[in-house]
Amino acid sequence: MILGSVIDWETLGKVALASLLAGVGVTLAFSLAIVGATRMAEMRRNGRGIEAGAYATLMIVALAVSAAAVAFGVIVMTTK
Amino acid sequence: MSSDVTLIIVIATALAFDFTNGFHDTANVVATSISTRALSPRIAVGLAAILNFAGAFISLEVAATVAKGIVDADAITPTIVFAGLIGAIAWNLITWYFGLPSSSSHALIGGVVGAMIAAVGTSAVDGESLLAKVAVPALVAPLVAFSVAGLAILVAYRIVGRLRPGPVNRGFRLGQVMSGGLLALAHGTNDAQKTMGIITLALIAHGDIAADNFHVPTWVVVSSASAIALGTYSGGWRIIRTMGSRIIKMDTAQGFSAQGAGSAVILASSHFGYPLSTTHVISGGVMGAGAARRLSAVKWGVAGNMIVAWILTIPMAGGIGGAAYGLTRVFGTGSLGPVVVSLLCLGLIGAVFGRRLQRGSPITAGARG
Repeated sequence: MILGSVIDWETLGKVALASLLAGVGVTLAFSLAIVGATRMAEMRRNGRGIEAGAYATLMIVALAVSAAAVAFGVIVMTTK
Repeated sequence: MSSDVTLIIVIATALAFDFTNGFHDTANVVATSISTRALSPRIAVGLAAILNFAGAFISLEVAATVAKGIVDADAITPTIVFAGLIGAIAWNLITWYFGLPSSSSHALIGGVVGAMIAAVGTSAVDGESLLAKVAVPALVAPLVAFSVAGLAILVAYRIVGRLRPGPVNRGFRLGQVMSGGLLALAHGTNDAQKTMGIITLALIAHGDIAADNFHVPTWVVVSSASAIALGTYSGGWRIIRTMGSRIIKMDTAQGFSAQGAGSAVILASSHFGYPLSTTHVISGGVMGAGAARRLSAVKWGVAGNMIVAWILTIPMAGGIGGAAYGLTRVFGTGSLGPVVVSLLCLGLIGAVFGRRLQRGSPITAGARG
């Protein structure tokens, strides 16, 4: 009963959801950037320019998402 | 004159706590980067020290009271703050000696609560607030980080699982520089401000700053940032070893997931105003990244010791803080008590370190396990 009244469930839920989205999202984006970089190098070695370009785009977009997440983190720190 | 001496001792003790906070919590920031060889030990702690220093300047909005709402703010005196700091420093040194990552924030809250109980009694402590602001978040922090890191590493393995290990490891090592940097910045922002808040409160109590004009003087910001950065650069290698290799043997993807999850949880909690311990978050993230791959990969005995240290932090720091207050009051209400207790503590620390130096060289970057 006491625990139920002192826990701020709403804020806790927001923290858990935001952490899940950000933590998994950044790992997902960075993993895709690694896939893009690795496959791009392989495709270029094999002379497959179009596929290499597609993987390069994947890498750039995924890196941009990762960088945006870091920038958002710094903004959170500066505005709290 | 007596209050001037007490103020100087409180400021020096607060900066000493800030230093122990830095070297105790270095592991949170650098352990995973070092164990996966994303960064060399010296570069890792050097970078963390610089980013901790920078982080201390990012925001001053939360340089308010530590233990705010938990203890009766009107009853706080410089001697109570001094005794609380002694309790926190002592517990930080004990847990560092045994290589156990524990929360410096909880040690400080415990120390102040213990000193307050010794000085005023239990009526000056809000038990419900202690439960809501300290105990529940201590339970929540590792669980959330454990789940997020666990899910993140499963996602990472799913995506990069079919690639050659070489490029994957190089990629995640680069990523760890980014995620570790973010953690160091967040740590500097959060933890240096506790010291700033304490010194500013001591200045208010002394009459140097008006109570209705709360602001952190520049010299307080610079000295607090310097103390935590110096402490971070000193590197608490015993805890780094526990966090980096004694809980799990990490690969680079696990290191990145643990740090990424840790950063996400810390920043999300900051954003929504739900303060969580950096130590509990990172420890939970490291365990989650290990357990998701294989439950037996986590050395649960080490993890159990850490959890016992977390549970003991508040009562132990509180007990020492209370005892320090009692000892201080033996010498009256002037500055003699804080002087004697400070000298006693310095003597004890000197004796312990002297014995260790006689036994052999301390654990350093070069000697890490």
